Order: sequence, then structure tokens, then C-alpha cells
Amino acid sequence: MRKKTIVLLIIVISGIAGYNYIYKDHRNIEKEKAAFTLKSTELSNEFLVSSSDSEKKYLNKTIEISGKVTEVDNNTLVIDNNIFCQFLNPISNSIKTDAVITIKGRFIGYDDLLEEIKLDQCSLSKN
Amino acid sequence: MKKFIYLIALLSFSVYSQGKYLTKTGTVSFEASVPSFEEVKAKNDAVTAILNTDNGDFAALILVKGFRFKNALMEEHFNENYAESDEYPKATFKGNLNGFNVSSIDGNSTFKVSGSLTFHGKSKEISDINCNVVKTDKGLELTGNFSVTPSDFDIEIPKIVSKKIAEDIEVSFKFDVIKK
Repeated sequence: MRKKTIVLLIIVISGIAGYNYIYKDHRNIEKEKAAFTLKSTELSNEFLVSSSDSEKKYLNKTIEISGKVTEVDNNTLVIDNNIFCQFLNPISNSIKTDAVITIKGRFIGYDDLLEEIKLDQCSLSKN
Repeated sequence: MKKFIYLIALLSFSVYSQGKYLTKTGTVSFEASVPSFEEVKAKNDAVTAILNTDNGDFAALILVKGFRFKNALMEEHFNENYAESDEYPKATFKGNLNGFNVSSIDGNSTFKVSGSLTFHGKSKEISDINCNVVKTDKGLELTGNFSVTPSDFDIEIPKIVSKKIAEDIEVSFKFDVIKK
């Protein structure tokens, strides 16, 4: 009897663990600690020097960037003309061009066509 | 001084002759679902696309890490084992909308697209894709779909999961390009 309960318990636990593995949650970039925190100009300069090396360095990493907004749309904004940030949620109306903000997002790659640094899953950092 | 005027004339001429339409938030999604198994589907809505309306030249750039799946583990496997996005972070398309003429578009026009699609470091020539072009308030909307196979891009699907992933992968795209 005791053996049976132990076996059953193991099956249930491994079942739950397996389920949690297969259906695990997505990364939560908003709650993650940023791997790099820097100014928009510093980041842009690194990509000017070598876009491929910088791309490798930052790819899939959570970064926090502060700089001046140069373009705002529904759920995307551009910092310093060349850092494109896509937000998960619509951007609040209070953010206008020329505002200086800090955002956190995941770097997904360098766009050679438009020479832009692209981030997704962005959120505003609370200062 | 004369040279300078020529230069200005040349520059302004090239600016006017270039009809460039672009988007930074184009959508590309693919689906390789098999009925009765979990859906294999991902969407990327930060795709850059540029259309030159003078000659129909078209280019798109997709950052592979930007493909989002419902299932986080599937997304991880896609990036690590199939697309190998650390090594090949970009997918590109370079081609042409055959016989494109912006003035001929009224309501809804269809053009054949041909060009080369690069993914996973491998290029494939594709042709005869139908692309619908609709005039919108701000620019043009391009939509269409086509299918590819993983082997086109040297991607091997392990036997153990091959039943759950369709052999033909349906790719669909939507680009709302705006004049720049």
C-alpha cells in the first residue's frame, strides 16, 4: 500500500514538472534585470563601430536605454532616430517627441536596411 | 560653382524620382500545424519592408528572434534547434513585383512577386507568389501568402517531432507601406 502511494506520488510530481516544462511561461522582460544599462548614444556608437560584433553581444539580451524620443506611434517609438522600440502595450499619450525617457526591452537584431537597432517587448522604466 | 549647381540639380532629381514606400511594423507569420496536434504558429510584427514604386523593387528584413509563439518552449526550440537564430539572426527577401506600376492600381491589384528568400543562412529563389496591392489613405497595403519547406533552408526536423510539424509551411505577410 505504501509503495503504491509513493509510486503514485512520483508519477504525479513528474507529471506536474513535465507539464510546467512544456507549458512554461514566456520570459518577462519587464521584470527581468537588465543585462546592460546605457545611454542611447553609447549604444549607437557601438553599432557604428561594428554592427555585427555588437549584434552578437546584445542579441536576445534585456537592455535598458535612456535617450530622446524622436518618433512615437501607437505601440512603437524611436529613440535617437535609430533605436526602434516595440512595446507590448499601447504607449501612453503623455510620451511625446523630444521627451527623454528610459526604456527596457529585448534586443532582437540590427536592421541593415534602415540601419536601426531593434528591440521588442519594451516597457517604460520607472525612475 | 557650376559643379555645385549640377550637384544640387542631380541630388534633387534623384530625390524626386525615387518613390520609396516603407514600413517598420510589417507582419510575417508562418504556420506548420498538423490537425489534432498543438498549433505550430508564430508571428513577427516588426518586419521592415521597402518598396520602390518606380520599378517594383521590394526588400524585406525579418529579425528571426522577433517571431513569437504562444508556447514559450516552442519558441525556444525554434530559435535554438531549427532557425538557430543566434547564428543567423536575420531573414531577408529581395525581389521585384513584376510589372509594378503605381498608377495602374485601382482598388485591388495583384502582382507576381519573384526574388530570393534567405533564412537560416540559405537562399531560395521563389517566384510566382501572388501579392495583393491595395491603395490605403496613407500608402499601400501589400498582402499575400506562399509556402516553403524546412528542407529548402537546410532545416532538419527530427523524426520524433516530424508528425507534429507540417511538411509545407504556410507563410503569410502584410505590409502597410507609407511614402517616405
